[in-house]
Amino acid sequence: MDHHGEEEDPKEYRWETGYEKTWEAIKEDDDGLLDGAIADIIQKAKRKRQAQKTMQNKLGMMRHLYLMLDCSESMSVPDLKPTRLLCTLKLLEKFIEEFFDQNPISQMGLIVLKGKRAEKVTELTGTAKLHLKALDGLHKINLVGEPSLQNGLDLALKTLKVVPSHASREVLIIMGSLTTCDPIDINITIDALKQESIRCSVISLSAEIHVCRHLTQQTGGTYGAVLDDSHYRDQLLSHVDPPPAAQTQENSLIKMGFPHARQDEGKEKDPPLSMCMCHIENADEPSKITSAGFHCPQCHSKYCELPVECQTCGLTLVSAPHLARSYHHLFPVQNFTELVYNGQAAICYACQKPLTEATDKNVYRCEACSQIFCLDCDIFIHETLHTCVGCVTIPGAAAQVHARKPQAPPMGMLLGSSLGQRF
Amino acid sequence: MEKAAAENDDSGSVSLLVIVLDTNPSQRIVRQNPDNLSQCLDATVAFGNAHLMQKAQNKLAVISCHHHATDFLYPMPVKQLEVRQVDGQYEVFSLVEKTVKQRLSHIITNAPKITQPNESLLAGSMSMALCYVARMQRNAQPGVKIHSRILVLTGSNECASQYMTYMNVFFTAQKLGIVIDVCALDKSLSLLQQGCDITGGQYLRLTQLDGLLQYLLWVFLPDPKTRQMLVLPPPTKVDYRAACFCHREMIDIGYVCSVCLSIFCKFSPICTTCHTVFKVPGPLPPKPKKKKKV
Repeated sequence: MDHHGEEEDPKEYRWETGYEKTWEAIKEDDDGLLDGAIADIIQKAKRKRQAQKTMQNKLGMMRHLYLMLDCSESMSVPDLKPTRLLCTLKLLEKFIEEFFDQNPISQMGLIVLKGKRAEKVTELTGTAKLHLKALDGLHKINLVGEPSLQNGLDLALKTLKVVPSHASREVLIIMGSLTTCDPIDINITIDALKQESIRCSVISLSAEIHVCRHLTQQTGGTYGAVLDDSHYRDQLLSHVDPPPAAQTQENSLIKMGFPHARQDEGKEKDPPLSMCMCHIENADEPSKITSAGFHCPQCHSKYCELPVECQTCGLTLVSAPHLARSYHHLFPVQNFTELVYNGQAAICYACQKPLTEATDKNVYRCEACSQIFCLDCDIFIHETLHTCVGCVTIPGAAAQVHARKPQAPPMGMLLGSSLGQRF
Repeated sequence: MEKAAAENDDSGSVSLLVIVLDTNPSQRIVRQNPDNLSQCLDATVAFGNAHLMQKAQNKLAVISCHHHATDFLYPMPVKQLEVRQVDGQYEVFSLVEKTVKQRLSHIITNAPKITQPNESLLAGSMSMALCYVARMQRNAQPGVKIHSRILVLTGSNECASQYMTYMNVFFTAQKLGIVIDVCALDKSLSLLQQGCDITGGQYLRLTQLDGLLQYLLWVFLPDPKTRQMLVLPPPTKVDYRAACFCHREMIDIGYVCSVCLSIFCKFSPICTTCHTVFKVPGPLPPKPKKKKKV
């Protein structure tokens, strides 16, 4: 991990370090052209993040994350463009969307630190919309005073303490300030966090701070100080993937409800009009009376969106695809082998791109199906698709892939042939 | 109003249609009458050309999902066939027809003989289509917006073992804003129906094969924006209930393993998927409802 403290030759300003002697990295090829070298640099950067991902068997799939955002005076510093706060808000938008995309049954809340106080902007909820709206409101926030790390942590601790024990509890702190103004000894709070196995991670926008590093070390989180905005983005997005399950985390079976839109099966008439529970107390967007929606199978409260925790009976309501969306974390695609291109294949197996020596320095081979892929497909397959195209289109390889995966649930009518398989 | 008009004749928007055609000879409709395959093929080519005809910039790709492999029928990866104008027909149309037929006959003659019915790896073919679309979107010129669609034409049954791949494909498509349309030629396909629902596409199950081209032209040719103004077959209610891993029964309330998210209909002390041992909720006979309250 890189942070300012360990650099041998600390420079005063960010721009002095980032672009030093960049010409040395660029080498002309035999024809005196630079394209190849530049493509090479881009390729390496693209793959770096992917290679860092490690395979974990047990993950904290049900995450409860508090995002703690420093909104003190130091966030108005323009070293990240246009200011630290605006840059952060822009990146957080992306982060929140990715987070809920990758962790559909997780929850997130937002805490703001300003003027020595901590303020909860949003409660723990499972929908991105609410947080994005709150973020939008922060654009015009008045940046004053100092942050208080302890007050923020105490607030998060109070809520996360009561989260069920099978869930993973996390706090992600984005610190702009170099100082914190705390009422009492912060070590007491850190010990309490450790006891509750709440994982605290910090991204510092200025420099490494000892107390933050101590916090992350004690609670098993990660610490990072950002170099520039793209490094910041990488640091932030590395928190999207679920962390390894904490040792103390209890495994349990969680009771969940699977509501279905169609309530009166067989009957021809439409379901009765009703109001949804999620908007019933919301003054801005009052609940509409409709016949559509998802009904809790236990208490028949209606919700207009899934996943949600039933406000009446506390049952977690999800739909089967929500669970399926998380499966790829448990069955990730193996990393491909990087090979120097020397005519292994004429085209990329997945996207049909013609491969040439000029544009494709390296190609990538899946060890399971031995197909050759271009760099872009390698990235696409591992980051977005989570399925090796070769392994699922070639019948022999496909049979192996299917054998290790959770078998299809729904569809009673078409299961006949596959019942003999794994589950 | 002006803005809307500007958007309409915007030359910076391109519509890419990828047709995934199931050519597996194990399909019931093909086994009953092999002519059905050529009928499907003719309809596909005509439909693809109709798509190209709508706008000069429109793009088309056709993928065949055969029992042993998935291949692109159109376009050719490196060099396109050379076609001359015939009877005044637009060259691109004859190029599509010639390429598709030539490639497919090549695939069929080279395919290994099948001894027993094989499943079509449709999910795999769709993932390949996604890679192709992703590449086209990456390589699009600045200012050009590519609206992509994938149309699946199949008479196969969907196989539950591909569930994971299907789900990955649907969520990737949703993320990239790709619409998945499905035209089921034989049985109704509930998994693919979920995919249409997730990505905002149209699902249609044909009751008779004769009118295939008409169905295609009426239902699937208009782009998703235009479809809002048309009276199309009403969306069918999709059942998103889960089936438990132990008995494969549809359940309303179930238990989910916190480690691997397997679904069970009854409480059991050990997860059969990941072999995790669970905390037993209290000394009394399992009433796991208690542990919700902390």
